[in-house]
Amino acid sequence: MENKKKQGKLKRILAKRGMGQVITVTIGLVALVIVFALLNPYFLTGRNISNLLRQIAPTLLTGIGQSYVLITGNIDLSIGSVVGMSCMTSATLMTKGVNPWVAVIITYLACLLIGLLNGKLISKAKLPAFIATLGTMTIARGIAQIVNNNYNTDSIGEAAEGFMNFFYYGKTLGLFNTIWITIVIWLVFNFLLSRTRTGRHLYAVGSNMHAAHLSGVNISSTVTKAYLVSAFCSATVGLITTATSGMGTMDAGNGYELYAVAASVIGGVSTLGGQGILLGTVIGASVWGVLQNGLQFAGAPVAIRNIVIGVIVIITVLLDLVVRQNKKVGTGKVGTGKTTSIGLKHKA
Amino acid sequence: MKRKLLGVVLCIVLLLSLVGYASGASKYRIFLITMDQMDQHWVTVDAGAKKAVSELGNVTYRWLAPDVKDDAKQIESINNAIAGGADAILLAANGPTAVTSALREATAAGVKIIYVDSPADYPGEQTLATDNEAAGNKAGQELKKALVNKGITSGKLGVVNVNAATASVVQRENGFRAAFKGTAFQILETQYSEGDAARSKDIAANYITQGVVGIFGANEGCTVGTGNAIKEAGGKVIGIGFDKSNTILQLIKEGHLLATMAQNPDVMGYKGIKAAVAVLEGKSPGAAYVDTGVSVLTKDTL
Repeated sequence: MENKKKQGKLKRILAKRGMGQVITVTIGLVALVIVFALLNPYFLTGRNISNLLRQIAPTLLTGIGQSYVLITGNIDLSIGSVVGMSCMTSATLMTKGVNPWVAVIITYLACLLIGLLNGKLISKAKLPAFIATLGTMTIARGIAQIVNNNYNTDSIGEAAEGFMNFFYYGKTLGLFNTIWITIVIWLVFNFLLSRTRTGRHLYAVGSNMHAAHLSGVNISSTVTKAYLVSAFCSATVGLITTATSGMGTMDAGNGYELYAVAASVIGGVSTLGGQGILLGTVIGASVWGVLQNGLQFAGAPVAIRNIVIGVIVIITVLLDLVVRQNKKVGTGKVGTGKTTSIGLKHKA
Repeated sequence: MKRKLLGVVLCIVLLLSLVGYASGASKYRIFLITMDQMDQHWVTVDAGAKKAVSELGNVTYRWLAPDVKDDAKQIESINNAIAGGADAILLAANGPTAVTSALREATAAGVKIIYVDSPADYPGEQTLATDNEAAGNKAGQELKKALVNKGITSGKLGVVNVNAATASVVQRENGFRAAFKGTAFQILETQYSEGDAARSKDIAANYITQGVVGIFGANEGCTVGTGNAIKEAGGKVIGIGFDKSNTILQLIKEGHLLATMAQNPDVMGYKGIKAAVAVLEGKSPGAAYVDTGVSVLTKDTL
């Protein structure tokens, strides 16, 4: 009896939608780790594993935010700029003598406003997500530049040492605080996505917005929640960046939105909406982080790195499309054209 | 009647604006075009240029730059400057041949070209820049000296660079590598961070894990990251970098960085404007190449 119960639970976990991709990618991740370890003995040292986990954190955090948005069938291009805005805002305030924790709160509030703006532009004003977040991307970057008068900030100083230890340099129970912060945030948002009504609504909006609307889902509030989550994650990464460098840099976060898409997509989150789990984002971000770290230890020239990374992203997206295509063919469904918020038509 | 009145008013406005333009044209229009708008380095060039403009008083000055370093966008900026009536352009070229087409058009339109920080292969009136290869070599020599003083004559070295396409940082690295030719030191494969301080720290930390004895940061962001990584590792790795900033000076004071090669971007902007005006007034700007130099800032010289 006990055995059957255990088997049932494992089966249920494996049968969860999106698990297939996660398992495939996990195998790929393990393979990568083995290859890099063989290429360089320093790769698997305790010191590197510790660093590596902390290096994965920003990609995972922005990945969580981007995954939330992708699941609703949208995209968030403003992630990188919000990271920069968060970095510059917090650092500028601290260099002007503001208490670091007050600066943290102000920074979160400012970044959440961007998230709110994104949500409302897309759900109420019906702007395509690509366009709306393109706009907020440039606005947020502009704010990052203007906050300290188009200069990078000075050092945030010894008064901010507690802040720097909390977000980046400190360790708790042997693991860097950054890793704990990421774990906590992941647990919270994974719970929200997989066990609450809000989570179900997020998937519903991404799968079929009209059906969701007819079922009584508040589209506007759901989409806005996704962008608020994304802004929160980006703001956190910005604070981590400030703590890392001990100063604010205007170009912080440049390009992070695309790495976040890569992490999500490798982990099985579909850019077409309605599909994917946050466990996948963990694996996706880990693959990304392991590639960055491992290729350095392997001594690969930069051209090879770029090609390798690009090829892996494309293969995983292709895999996702092929698998979905086969599923549709298998069930004999004939689809009608459906336009998603980023303007792609696909068979429903 | 109303139509006629409107017509007369419009003609007067047109005439006035022509007069306005004519009187404005007695000032020289000079545009500064850099690689991007965010790197501290360019902000300082602009500051130096503005200082010269306020001293001279006969210049209408504008700083044009793409938001990110991109050849097509820089070409666009040059074209915008030409269309905006530029008499002279101060240009930090993305690369030696990246924007030649736009420069040809500029010269055809009679625009004078002065290079600041990074020249292109196309002929200009003057180049004001850091001799990047010499500066990189200097950094290498300083690092070698410090290592030898500690009794270290061999080992691995790491380079944290910006990217492989920007001539200035590539030259710095070439100079740095030349300083270690024929020695027992092995320089690992260069890693690129696009000048992002956080990414640079990750790269430097990875180098430290691999057991390097020294690290070179090729620009401000790379140097900040290198210094922070060395600070965190608390070990004996020696770091040397490029450019000056409050954070870098702090890291040198604390002993986490040996030294930094401080450029003089403000001098580039300042002297660049003066040279441009000299050329526009028909005078010679002086030497074809002005090395605006680097100073080695160490704990003792601070």
